[in-house]
Amino acid sequence: MGPISRRLFALESRSGWIAIAILLVIGLFIVPALNLMVPEGSLFHISTFWVATLGKYLCFAILALALDLIWGYAGILSLGHGAFFGLGGYAMGMYMMRQIGDRSVYGNPDLPDFMVFLNWDSLPWYWWGFDQFWFAALMVVLVPGLLAFVFGWLAFRSRITGVYFSIISQAMVFAIMLAFFRNETGFGGNNGLTDFKDILGFNLSQDSTKVGLYVVTTIALLLVYMICRAVVSSKLGRLLIAVRDAESRVRFLGYSVTNAKLFVFTLSAVLAGVAGALYVPQVGIINPGEFTPAKSIEMAIWVAVGGRGTLFGAIVGAFTINGARTYLTGVAPEVWLFFLGALFILVTLVMPQGLVGVYRSIRSGELKDAIRRRIQRVDV
Amino acid sequence: MSVTNNADASRMRTVFFSILFVLLSLLAFSFPAHAQQNDAALNAALSDLNARSFKAKTAAVQALGVYGDARAVAALEALSEGRLYGRKSDKSVVIAERDGKIYRLTDPATGVSAGEATSRELKKIIANNKLRGLIRGVLGQLALSSSDSELRRAAVENVISSPTGGSLALLKSARDRETEDDIRARLETGIATLELGSDDPALRRAAVDRLADGNDPEIKSLLERRLLKNADGSFVESDAQVRAEVQEAVSRINDRLALFGLAEDLIFGISLGSVLLLAAIGLAVTFGVMGVINMAHGEMIMLGAYTTFVVQEVFRVTMPAEAFGFYLLAAIPAAFLVAATFGILIERGCIRFLYGRPLETLLATWGVSLILQQMVRSLFGANNREVANPDWISGAISIGGGVSVTVSRVYIVIFCLVVVAALAAFIRYSRFGLQMRAVTQNRGMASAMGIRTGQVDALTFALGSGIAGVAGVALSQISNVSPNLGQNFIVDSFMVVVFGGVGSLWGTIVGAFGLGIVNKFLEPVSGAILGKVVVLVIIILFIQKRPRGLFALKGRAAEG
Amino acid sequence: MPFAGGFNVSMSEPVPLNKPAQSILYLEGVSVSFDGFKALNSLNLIIRRGEMRAIIGPNGAGKTTMMDIVTGKTRPDTGRVLFGEDTNLTHLDEAEIANLGIGRKFQKPTVFESLTVFENLYLALKSGRRIRETLFARMRGEQQARIESYLETIRLTERRDDLGGDLSHGQKQWLEIGMLLAQEPELMLLDEPVAGMSDAETEQTAILLEEISRDHSLVVVEHDMEFVRDLDCVVSVLHEGSVIAEGSMDVVQADPRVIEVYLGR
Ligand SMILES: Nc1ncnc2c1ncn2[C@@H]1O[C@H](COP(=O)(O)OP(=O)(O)OP(=O)(O)O)[C@@H](O)[C@H]1O
Ligand SMILES: [Mg+2]
Repeated sequence: MGPISRRLFALESRSGWIAIAILLVIGLFIVPALNLMVPEGSLFHISTFWVATLGKYLCFAILALALDLIWGYAGILSLGHGAFFGLGGYAMGMYMMRQIGDRSVYGNPDLPDFMVFLNWDSLPWYWWGFDQFWFAALMVVLVPGLLAFVFGWLAFRSRITGVYFSIISQAMVFAIMLAFFRNETGFGGNNGLTDFKDILGFNLSQDSTKVGLYVVTTIALLLVYMICRAVVSSKLGRLLIAVRDAESRVRFLGYSVTNAKLFVFTLSAVLAGVAGALYVPQVGIINPGEFTPAKSIEMAIWVAVGGRGTLFGAIVGAFTINGARTYLTGVAPEVWLFFLGALFILVTLVMPQGLVGVYRSIRSGELKDAIRRRIQRVDV
Repeated sequence: MSVTNNADASRMRTVFFSILFVLLSLLAFSFPAHAQQNDAALNAALSDLNARSFKAKTAAVQALGVYGDARAVAALEALSEGRLYGRKSDKSVVIAERDGKIYRLTDPATGVSAGEATSRELKKIIANNKLRGLIRGVLGQLALSSSDSELRRAAVENVISSPTGGSLALLKSARDRETEDDIRARLETGIATLELGSDDPALRRAAVDRLADGNDPEIKSLLERRLLKNADGSFVESDAQVRAEVQEAVSRINDRLALFGLAEDLIFGISLGSVLLLAAIGLAVTFGVMGVINMAHGEMIMLGAYTTFVVQEVFRVTMPAEAFGFYLLAAIPAAFLVAATFGILIERGCIRFLYGRPLETLLATWGVSLILQQMVRSLFGANNREVANPDWISGAISIGGGVSVTVSRVYIVIFCLVVVAALAAFIRYSRFGLQMRAVTQNRGMASAMGIRTGQVDALTFALGSGIAGVAGVALSQISNVSPNLGQNFIVDSFMVVVFGGVGSLWGTIVGAFGLGIVNKFLEPVSGAILGKVVVLVIIILFIQKRPRGLFALKGRAAEG
Repeated sequence: MPFAGGFNVSMSEPVPLNKPAQSILYLEGVSVSFDGFKALNSLNLIIRRGEMRAIIGPNGAGKTTMMDIVTGKTRPDTGRVLFGEDTNLTHLDEAEIANLGIGRKFQKPTVFESLTVFENLYLALKSGRRIRETLFARMRGEQQARIESYLETIRLTERRDDLGGDLSHGQKQWLEIGMLLAQEPELMLLDEPVAGMSDAETEQTAILLEEISRDHSLVVVEHDMEFVRDLDCVVSVLHEGSVIAEGSMDVVQADPRVIEVYLGR
């Protein structure tokens, strides 16, 4: 099956593998070493802030992979992936909230502060079990997965496709946002969950914990990348592309489009949930802001900038845009939205294949041709 | 039952009191002549105001009320505002205005100047809060005998809301004199309310009987209070039979109030629906007719609202004050033009390269929306901008049963219907509307027939955007004008269009009002936010049954 | 022929037709309307097992709609659609019907544009259709060989690694026929298989179809009369949603009603 996969993965070639290996060595060994072993003040020292920031980007990369899996391959543009990311994050946040115990401001060992503040006298049932890590970890996977399964089942069964699906998924995340903003929903309302103390006994304010989380996230990204690769290079991967190209034709071949979509959508939601769960301990807070529709749309642009339909592109996109955000919001905050907006327009108009596409055309010398073709198309 | 929101209620109150005040100051001219004859008696009562004890002052104020002479008004107002003085030299009562070191005096009965005095020659007549309350009541009573019916109407309300000992007799005599039916009805209610407290069970029963016909939440709570127990365990209403009738009356009023509650939900639902429709109708054109997902639609609304703000500022500077209220009318075409211009720019600069790629269009227009938001934020600042309601759309209309609607909402419903009708007529009857429909139904054929499809696309998009801009004018009247204005409407308006059936104007109308009304009916049950969540869930479930919306287009064209 | 043109079957009281025991497709009193327009009007049609049937008719006669009904794309308002002995198709969805063994080539050729020719055939190849099976599927040598042979048949061996979207119109038609073969259906429905083909290609297609028809039941919709004549099979003429004539090409062409439909108006 050489030719098939070669086309699907420009980076599956030997040079691609070498690139992945190099990145892994840098991510897993060099960065932590530069933080922990090189003394502060040295030119080569990487501050803990930057390690945590990189860890954040890694979470976004996982999220981008999840989105790419359904959009780049199956053609399902979800504008509600923030819901799965956020729910995974909340599940982890609930665990860490329970770990605080009586170290909170009100010092109530049984109730998180915001519940004491609301005069609640007992823990609501949906908080039960979250003092156990394994339970929370299970929920990180289960809650987004279940929501995606139910939502996807409803949508795909009635053949809601294309922009309709996008709009409905946006409405879903919007509804969740409204619900989580309420204090009565029991997730800390506006402020969300924060003031975490430790995770699995490790103190979150310690540098070693932060580096540890970063390393775990790197490994998670690698695993997620492998899972996605396994999916897209299987026959199911072809099937997904076929669904993207001509959904109804696939049905006449005897495949259940609903099931295929439901599978990747649920898988993608689970991966997004994992990304959220890794994200929250590293940033120390989760609030309903993660559910704003704008955030979910922005995820799409990470994938588009990197190059949708290529897994590597999704990762590149997540790093590029979030790096640009960190830089720009620091230097000139008012420029950031102009930049992001322009990016949305430019990517869709002039580089639909994203950075990976540009890289490929440069390598194969097609760039000039491509530009010429595009100019011609615009003329028509 | 919730009545109206707080802002509405307080605005109503302000309006009410300012009317009352204007009318009160007109009192003197509107009184029947007979009341002005006996100056001596009036003067005697006025000088009693200068008594030592509050008890005596109270009696004097009440006497002025029963006496019913409008010339007492000035003195009473002055007393409650601390401008009434006793002149030490002749023990007479005067109104004094401070003017530098000296005071200018006026005779309270005639309003004629009574010379000047220094502070040492005067002694302030002091009123306490209780007395002020009484004065308010008496001022109201005085208005009861005015010849101006508006004034009387206001006065009746005033007396009913703060009755005093003499009020019952006063209301009764006013009722006997009253010629206008609605005022008399209010008087009857007032009398009945007071008679509820009478010692005679028969009188109380008659009163309950009369009150049972009303639909005023206040009367209901008044009646309900009769059903409570005193601290010693006895009933407030001692007579068991009367109690039963009170019970009966309360439940009858409750039924009627429930009906009003229903009407209120309906009215507020329609109001919300018209807002949704205004926000969504432009989308019905760009999404429904062209199939373009314009995520910057909300920003077109926002641009309309900001245009309104700018027009307002221009009017404030360049126009005479009387013309200021009409800035809103000027803002409508201005907002249309601004939004339509941006629409053309977006279509020509971006969307036209993306036809047939709806997901890309969605993302690109989202980018446009981010840029527009930031642009407005940079130009006008991130804070809310104040857009005033012109006088002609301020105020509220009371419907009864404690329900009232602000005038601006009524105008929005009307405005919305006008916009929709105009749009429908335009699409149906104009030459451009015909071309538009032709292009959307068969692009290739239309272009072969010589229609310039590119131009039609641009203009259609401009039309949709322009309407969004016009919606922004209306929304600026009821919502904050901020760079985020559009974002608040984008999810809702897409829901309306999807729910109604993309491409169907009818569907959009039914969808908007349907969602608006359902939302308002859910609100009391589940709270405002949860109501919204429930509506979204309902839509998601509804789309199961009808993936293409309520009024789906059929046929192969719709299958795309 | 059991009957010829049963366009008068009343809706309320379906006339019991003698359903031949070996029919593979059986349509009785099938009607469907779109916004009041009757695309099919109590259509009756029987295809015997192993038969090749050509269906002709003017534009808008309802030929494609008939295929839509059979393959589950459109639900009939009334009528029965049976596959094989007694499998009712009217309540199954497209995938279920396809898995029963009904394959279809569309009027507008639809291949998967961003998959290679090879991958197009690989997806069509008869094998496990469940999601789990596709996730863990590995291509066996025997499958590869089969795909190669289909490539040969449809003359696209050279282009096996090119994208479906890069093929010419005629080649797409061929690829779709190849995908149909790879599905190994019992019954094949071909909607205008030679539209857009050169004369030589048309002839080759006719030969190919005859070959296929040896071990498949075939329904071919075509406007190209020469091609239909070449097929040398029973022809049904569809007009305004019902069959108005049935028989060999010569018989049908002599039918006054058919002449009126094609030449009148
Ligand atoms: N989904 C649909 N919605 C509305 N009308 C339809 C639909 N499907 C078919 N029709 C109408 O039904 C009629 C029959 O169409 P059909 O495609 O079956 O004709 P046909 O015989 O295949 O014609 P052609 O030879 O041109 O392909 C046409 O008038 C068509 O417009
Ligand atoms: Mg056809």
